[in-house]
Amino acid sequence: MKAKIGLEIHVQLSEAGSKLFCDCDSEYRKYPPNRNVCPVCLGLPGALPVPSKRALTLALAAAKAFNCKIPERIVFTRKHYFYPDLPKNYQITQFEKVGGAPVCLGGYVEFLNTDTWEWVRVGIRRVNLEEDPGRTYYEGDILTSRYALVDFNRSGVPLLEIVTEPDVRSPREARLLVEYILLTLEYIGATNPRLEGVFRVDANVSVEGGERVEVKNIGSTLDVEKALKYEIGRQTMIVERGGKVERETRHWDAARGVTKPLRYKEEEAEYLYFPDPDLPPVRVTEDLLAEASKTASRSPKAIFETVRKLGVKREIAWSIVSSPPAADRFLEAVRLGGDPQVLARMVGVDYKGELRERGLDPNDPSRWPPAKTLTELAKLVSTGEYTYDSIKGLVLPRLAENPGVEVKAVLPEKVSDIDSLVEEVLKREVKAVRDYLSGKKKALNYLVGAVMRAARGRALDPREARKRLMERLESMKEPQGEG
Amino acid sequence: MRKLKTAYELVEAYRNGSLDPVEHAWRVIEEIGRWEGRVNAYITLEAPEAIIIQAEEARERYRRGEHRPLEGVLVAVKDNISTSFMPTTAASRMLEKYIPPFNATVVERLVRAGAIVVGKTNMDEFAMGSTSEFSAFGPVRNPWDLERVPGGSSGGSAACLAYGGCDLSLGSDTGGSIRLPAAYTATVGIKPTYGLVSRYGLIPYGNSLEQIGPMARSVKDAALLLEVIGGWDPRDSTSLRIDPPKLSNLEPLEPGEASLCVPREMVEGSEEPVAKVFWSLMGKLESEGFEVLEASLPEVSKALPAYYIIALAEAASNLARYDGGLYPREDVEAGDYWRHVAEARARGFGWEVKKRIVLGSYALSEGYRDEYYIAATKVRRLVRDAVLRLARKCIIASPAAPILPPRLGERITDPLLLYAMDVYTVVANLAGVPALAMPAGFSQGLPVGVQFMAYRLGEDLLVRLGLTVEEMTGLRGVAAGEG
Repeated sequence: MKAKIGLEIHVQLSEAGSKLFCDCDSEYRKYPPNRNVCPVCLGLPGALPVPSKRALTLALAAAKAFNCKIPERIVFTRKHYFYPDLPKNYQITQFEKVGGAPVCLGGYVEFLNTDTWEWVRVGIRRVNLEEDPGRTYYEGDILTSRYALVDFNRSGVPLLEIVTEPDVRSPREARLLVEYILLTLEYIGATNPRLEGVFRVDANVSVEGGERVEVKNIGSTLDVEKALKYEIGRQTMIVERGGKVERETRHWDAARGVTKPLRYKEEEAEYLYFPDPDLPPVRVTEDLLAEASKTASRSPKAIFETVRKLGVKREIAWSIVSSPPAADRFLEAVRLGGDPQVLARMVGVDYKGELRERGLDPNDPSRWPPAKTLTELAKLVSTGEYTYDSIKGLVLPRLAENPGVEVKAVLPEKVSDIDSLVEEVLKREVKAVRDYLSGKKKALNYLVGAVMRAARGRALDPREARKRLMERLESMKEPQGEG
Repeated sequence: MRKLKTAYELVEAYRNGSLDPVEHAWRVIEEIGRWEGRVNAYITLEAPEAIIIQAEEARERYRRGEHRPLEGVLVAVKDNISTSFMPTTAASRMLEKYIPPFNATVVERLVRAGAIVVGKTNMDEFAMGSTSEFSAFGPVRNPWDLERVPGGSSGGSAACLAYGGCDLSLGSDTGGSIRLPAAYTATVGIKPTYGLVSRYGLIPYGNSLEQIGPMARSVKDAALLLEVIGGWDPRDSTSLRIDPPKLSNLEPLEPGEASLCVPREMVEGSEEPVAKVFWSLMGKLESEGFEVLEASLPEVSKALPAYYIIALAEAASNLARYDGGLYPREDVEAGDYWRHVAEARARGFGWEVKKRIVLGSYALSEGYRDEYYIAATKVRRLVRDAVLRLARKCIIASPAAPILPPRLGERITDPLLLYAMDVYTVVANLAGVPALAMPAGFSQGLPVGVQFMAYRLGEDLLVRLGLTVEEMTGLRGVAAGEG
């Protein structure tokens, strides 16, 4: 059944350096509870918020990346609700009404559907810059816990709320969209999407003939797809049985893989919105816009197109683009004179694979060798000095262990005595030789493998080994013919 | 009536060695001992030993010639201004035991200028009141007549000046809270231009309206104190990017340099004794050669309701943070979160505060916001524009309050009567312009104050006019009690 899906994506600007309105750290995870706090983010009486220029620039860069209409003045608005981890009991956010103005008044994003290789456009309704609340820890369950422990380390971390139009067509596309948006923000330098709890997604979903249901608390891109599939299935079943899908808010239970109705009743929202009198409207100057545009200049789409123009296959191109450090190294290595095809394979397939195999993060720049190293390796392959496979099999694993290492230190010794290896193998593998000579051509493959193994980590071109083997085997045939 | 040294005279005497800071400190401590039991101007007093130690340090600095602008001057600080070395209660049970982990910017500047903070002054709870009766620590009484109120909300800061319990004091003015007490106690108070003085550390009531300001026994003293506390503070986004004003060495204003005007709407409703003293002063100014014009500000009739809607809306928001969490109350039992919050707020807040929270929330709530809050912000713009237009032409003169200081209990039973006391003062807060209140004369032994308003950042003009008026009235350094 056809579904309409709209998403609200909350992403922390974890790389902003500071919290939104004070100097505390935007990356709060490394602190013991309540140590990354100050009077401002604790909301102590009389402490005043001062907007961080970096957070504003990043938010505006995001607005640029999402092709947004940007207001002349950005206004921060107070949104009131009582919650233990909200120290002022209001959140400083942005709101389009009551004289407010968020960083983005509407735009769109085009993401790549990597199943169909189409670019798909989804409307962005608005983007807000706001403060994240603290965190509440309950003993067991929120309803039965005797107390709540509150940690304000997260309180005041800049948070971007991105609200899409209900244009998303399927759970799969919802997932790809979220991944694309996170990648865009990663390219801007706004966030590290792999940090725990750095983004959360709420999804609005309805099927034909039913009301809109909001699913909250989705914490991973995989769960976006799972939660929506589950929810659409649930709603479809109700409609097919002649029931009615009521408008409600549900909770995604990732552990059980189901959405559940909220057990506590949501009050009718009365947020008492009004512009924060402590924060004069921020004029969006030409300078600020220019800086935002500069920050937003690296978009996944633009880089994908650049890589494709170099003749790289789309699957590999996307693999490169989806890891910003990979894309950076790739483009730089090409600029330094490396062959794009060789580099694409090295960067987008094999080196990335080596990192994955080791459980290392391919989006962590420190895991990548400098572009110069990659260019050097690509040149060794292009000039025929080494085969791609020997670089792949012998060099890339060592680089993945130690990306800073010099090429010459990891370059394998080349086999200079192929003939003696061939002789050694022919002497040892009597049965295979006999098989080959009696017409079993497949035995040759086995013998090539044996020569390669005998090289013991030194570089040897398997084609060369095969050629030499054939020559020797053919020469062995002759005396037999005579006899 | 008696005459006491002004702060300016004190510093002169310290400098030329005719008075010892320690001797003066003892004298003030004695005055406090004599009066405080009846007046209740202070919520927290510094220990006498601590005051004396600081006075001894001041004496040393004078001896070494290293004295700073307010060296050895005893300053009282309103209890809604944060001090890290004394509790800061805002006269509320809610903050009974709260000691801020930081100093307000103005306190930092006071201390850096060599001032000695004597204590924290009594006030209306969270500055909500015009009589200083709504304090959780009991009402303040007027030293000129102990049956009467000293005005509010900075009543304690005015009363301690009026009985010699301090040399200078800091108040805060949201809608007249410095100027009403100044008028009722024959002292001088300035509500600075919005943004001239940092609000960092001021426990907020109506953020978009209020300023911390100087209170003193002479115009020159008030100017000196404003010079110390004024100027840009990067921690307050609403503070103006300007240097501290130069105000302490100005000459009295001469006729012909500026003219005065009296909007009829700002004098009409005054009680007869008040009007009489006011017009008599205007007559003297005219006979000195000053031009005193009649003017009209019809917008003033709407100023009071607009002021109260905006102030209460902001207050309701500011006070949301007091939920018994970060500011715990021992008399509230643990339990369900909502009950806990409700009980903490029920016990922590006084009646007037609760009333204002309810009114403010109402003005911001869905369905009423346009009719109240939004409408009030529009009226505010009208008032501001009208005041700015008139202030370009003349210094706006009016009585500071329409009535003589009322008796305790006389006004607080009827909120409309209570709020009406602020009718002449709220105009300056709505417009963001500076206003000076100072003694105009006496009626039946009770002080009557005059108010002058100028254009934005016209503090120098006000101070110069104030010096002129002070020469005419001779009311400089006056205090209650027998000389």
